[in-house]
Amino acid sequence: MNAVDQHRDRPPYLGYGLGLRVEHYQELLDHPHGVDWLEIVSENYMVPGGLPLVWLERFRARFPLVMHGVSLSIGGTDPLDDGYLARLDALARRIEPAWVSDHLCWTGVQGVNLHDLMPLPYTEEALDHVVARVRQVQDRLRRRILLENVSSYLRFADAQLEEWEFLAAVAERADCLLLLDINNVYVSARNHGFDPLRYLDGVPVQRVQQFHLAGHEQGEALLVDTHDAPVPSPVWALYEAAVRRFGAVSTMIERDDHMPPLRELVAELDDARRLAEPLLRAAA
Amino acid sequence: MSSLQSMQLRLQQAVMAAAASSPPELVGDGIADAKTRLAIYRHGYRARLREALAGEFPALASLAGRRFPSLLDRYAEACPSEHYNLRWHGAGMAAFLRYALPWRERPAFAEAAELDWAISTCFDAADEPAIDAEALAAIAPDAWAGLRLAPPQHLQWLALHSNVDAFRSAADSAASRPHLRRRAQPRQLIVWRQGLTVRYRALEPMESALLAAAARGEPFATLCEIAAGHAPPGQAVARLAVLLRGWVDAGLIGALQPGET
Repeated sequence: MNAVDQHRDRPPYLGYGLGLRVEHYQELLDHPHGVDWLEIVSENYMVPGGLPLVWLERFRARFPLVMHGVSLSIGGTDPLDDGYLARLDALARRIEPAWVSDHLCWTGVQGVNLHDLMPLPYTEEALDHVVARVRQVQDRLRRRILLENVSSYLRFADAQLEEWEFLAAVAERADCLLLLDINNVYVSARNHGFDPLRYLDGVPVQRVQQFHLAGHEQGEALLVDTHDAPVPSPVWALYEAAVRRFGAVSTMIERDDHMPPLRELVAELDDARRLAEPLLRAAA
Repeated sequence: MSSLQSMQLRLQQAVMAAAASSPPELVGDGIADAKTRLAIYRHGYRARLREALAGEFPALASLAGRRFPSLLDRYAEACPSEHYNLRWHGAGMAAFLRYALPWRERPAFAEAAELDWAISTCFDAADEPAIDAEALAAIAPDAWAGLRLAPPQHLQWLALHSNVDAFRSAADSAASRPHLRRRAQPRQLIVWRQGLTVRYRALEPMESALLAAAARGEPFATLCEIAAGHAPPGQAVARLAVLLRGWVDAGLIGALQPGET
């Protein structure tokens, strides 16, 4: 049994959560009602000390937490950053999150960090590369990680697989879990002209541990994943289809910009609850 | 180099390059051509770096005024981010402003960046203990001569020829922009964290000399000699006592290390 096998059990179902953002710190502690759990951006708390970690301990005492990173660069071709992994591991040991996630992407090469979620070409070469690195990270962290599908705007000439085929193959071959961003599925479907329901149908049910819900904006030719707007109706419709397919999956509203008052996000989270719960009860 | 490596390198260069050109691996379709698709990443890269840097350098932003956005773009071109946390991209800003034209001709810019960055790094520096007045009162009279007063490790020293601290203070309180003033001799300014609050203030020469000596590990007896060199006759110990109490109240003494008795 390797280190990861010891943690093969699925993490718990957490209900309906929010991404933790500075703008809502105090209000969340004062009025936690309606928020079952919180997702933190890992890198914001991979710091030596000070206020970020003090706040984090306060939230840890009140909510289940999950960690969501942006700089793992699982698809990057630089060696995995040992220092980064050590800090990520230290934070995970400190706060004992329900799970740790990052994105199926690369963030830079030759030491540069573009601070963006760059899409991979869906090729057999990239698949082998990512699978090997996911295993390496899972062994290092001694836990299965979740990988999130990113919004993509690029088309690669040498693509051999559809995105959902690539995602499913990574999860199965590396034995990792998935964070399915429903908005990203919709944005990529529009930008690449595929049916988002085909995407959902191609993702293995037992691998999906978390959903993200977010908003986007219409660019000149493409949809842009901005996380700065309420969840729009096509994404709600896709979420409904996802709940029907995947069942009870911990669901989160992700807002990064044009931050509204907390009550608006909690109301949006209630919308997710009202949509999902009857479907889950009917399926039980 | 694998084809994945070479693709990532070419794509990264295309995202960062000043002039747009699409790598051969990218294709378009009926929805958008390759250049339009790439443009989202090119725009996002610049916007993200600019936004993150702007948040870290309020004094520099106030000082640079309308030149600030182009300054940020030039820095991002010259110094790509190499840190996993976008916030840390600003680590090289002060050094960049010291050598890059035209800003090196305005040394206050580098000083403002230095102050902003010191404040930023103190914010989440490692937590350290600070002694209180009771700890000071408990020191036996014969232990004072050899006593060493250790400031916190995160304490930072800046030698400033300009009043960039006034720019920072004005930016933090949304006050009107001050006038830039320069002086021939630099002022010593310290940046530290008291509990969870980052503080900064300029030091008069006597206090600067004493705190620097304490940071070097000089014993209290040496601090008394230094004080005697700055204060009028007969006032050195009293002034040192006032300063010492101020340091303790401000969290500037992290530990007391007894000397040999």
